[in-house]
Amino acid sequence: MKTRAILLAAGVAVLAAVPLMLPDGLVNAAISMLIAALFACAYNLLCGYAGMLSFGHSAYFGVGAFATIHAMNALGGAGLLPTPWMPLVGAAGGLLAGLVAGWFSTQRTGAYFAMITLAIAELLHAMAPQLKSVFGGEAGISSMRMPAWGLTFGSTVEVYYLTLAWVLASLVLLYLLTRTPLGRLALGLRENSQRLRFLGYDVHRISVLIFALSGMFSGIAGGLQVLSNESANYVVFDTSLSAAVVLNTYIGGVHAFLGPALGAALVTFFGYAVSDLTQSWLLYQGALFVLVIIFMPTGLAGLLALAGRFVQRHGLRAAAPGAGLYLLAGACYAAAAIFLTELLQRLFSQDYRSLAQAAGAWEWPAVSLFGREWPPLGVTTWLVPATLAVLGWLFWKMAAAAVGRLRDAAPADRAPAAGAMTERRLT
Amino acid sequence: MNAPVLSLHDVRKSFGPVDIIRGVSLDVGGNERHAVIGPNGAGKSTLFHLVSGQLRPSAGEIRLGGRPIAGCSPQAINRLGLARSFQITNLFPRLTVFENIRLAVMRPRGLQYCFWRLADRDERVRDRGIALLENVRLSHRASAVAGELSYSEQRSLEIAMTLASDPRIILLDEPMAGMSREETRYTTELIREVTQGRALLIVEHDMEVVFTLSDRISVLVYGELIASGTPEEIRANPRVREAYLGEEATA
Repeated sequence: MKTRAILLAAGVAVLAAVPLMLPDGLVNAAISMLIAALFACAYNLLCGYAGMLSFGHSAYFGVGAFATIHAMNALGGAGLLPTPWMPLVGAAGGLLAGLVAGWFSTQRTGAYFAMITLAIAELLHAMAPQLKSVFGGEAGISSMRMPAWGLTFGSTVEVYYLTLAWVLASLVLLYLLTRTPLGRLALGLRENSQRLRFLGYDVHRISVLIFALSGMFSGIAGGLQVLSNESANYVVFDTSLSAAVVLNTYIGGVHAFLGPALGAALVTFFGYAVSDLTQSWLLYQGALFVLVIIFMPTGLAGLLALAGRFVQRHGLRAAAPGAGLYLLAGACYAAAAIFLTELLQRLFSQDYRSLAQAAGAWEWPAVSLFGREWPPLGVTTWLVPATLAVLGWLFWKMAAAAVGRLRDAAPADRAPAAGAMTERRLT
Repeated sequence: MNAPVLSLHDVRKSFGPVDIIRGVSLDVGGNERHAVIGPNGAGKSTLFHLVSGQLRPSAGEIRLGGRPIAGCSPQAINRLGLARSFQITNLFPRLTVFENIRLAVMRPRGLQYCFWRLADRDERVRDRGIALLENVRLSHRASAVAGELSYSEQRSLEIAMTLASDPRIILLDEPMAGMSREETRYTTELIREVTQGRALLIVEHDMEVVFTLSDRISVLVYGELIASGTPEEIRANPRVREAYLGEEATA
């Protein structure tokens, strides 16, 4: 409990110090990470806690975004709602949209529920460009952040702190929500909604409420994005945003409260850092998602928790070699995969084909990658990824052996350890 | 006999052309422990589903405390004072025992759309949950995950959850199914104890349990009640012996 509080305080301190340490461009990235983190946590209230897999959550993010931009233009940051309170309008928009859409979609469960949420989001996405007065057509709507409270909100740093305050407050509220009777009922909904019915609960009404609250926090995230970008465009309703929030949430881990925030922040950050370097970023993101789903269904948060328990049981000194070897193995595998992906991507690219044609028949010009030239028929070109993969495999074996030795050395607590791994869930 | 809590009058249920329940009339008194027995496929579970609101009867009348409930939703019937357990254990398997009982306790306390108070802070709910767990002797397992309890512990938790709303009548669907002799004896005593002052309608295959526990027994065969009476009357009834008990004895 105490370590958790210290970790949280440290995390908040780091977040507060971000603008002092990073250049403006990266502060902008940090704003996107915060917004994605809030969106993922709002989504997880529905998905992880209440067990309702929505495929159209961009709708509530988008409604929140457009509600906020209209409020910004209409009120001009004056009167009762100065600029810092603008996301409240996004919250109201998300809540209303969530109430209406939730009322329809929660009539069904499982795959049918998912299909209805998808249909509602697609409906908005198809309608938005037609309704020029509401959604601004293809061009979208833009606005200006007005000064308030003696702040101009002209600099990225001010926007960062505004976003940070909203995201932290929303996350605290979301967490508290999971501890209320309604939040507990969300778990019951996920586990066994039929039983809830026979305990006298109105399951549909509970589902609608959870759905609407999830929509409300998504709307805040949408509003924050509008505040940051000073514009909104109908592409926020795109399926890719709905898909991204599902991926982020699962990569982070649906069974821990902050798991989705972690996943969203990391994926968003890599999106920023890597998308300029490679054309295959979406492929990596997809591959990461598949790997997480297959090998660690509890996500990155689950992996961290597992490592934490391991260190707790055996001590940092004893656990370090195994963990280090696992990291090394992972790095080798990743390097091999990245090398191969990038090489193949270049080999199959249009540029390369025209280059090869220019060079003449049966010629394979070298590919430039990582600052070196790699002839496609050269032995080293293929030896590098192969070596990396073999190294990864070796390190993995060694890591598994090291961990196994530790387990054998402390056989008494082996059984509860295995149980603890599977039974820890959202509570 | 006091006024019936639950009364069925000529209740029928058919699925398409198949008649499952063919005119059942039955009264359960305020303090009565009433068992429904019958061979497999007689319609006992269907009868429970009709009474608890899972299914809607094709015809006939069901009254709970004098109010017609046929076709009402399960949650409405629960709020009128009827709670049921299920033949297959029906818990929240990945939540703790305490969390399970708390979900059952919150509803009668009116806590369902509450998002402004913390659940842990509510002492009435906590105390009631702990008391219920003590009733079924599960307090020492409060923080265990429900899905990892032993079978009889899970059944005990089921019973505690049906008691949470302080119902006037409890429906237990084969509470002893799959239990050892020891567990059966224990659970029988538990049921006798916790149903003091309320009505019980129970479906059970274990004849020993049925004859020791119930005040009255009804025999359901192919959707019809062929007899209804005290255990002695049922034991002596020739039609019952022929249709059911005899068959059981030779088996």
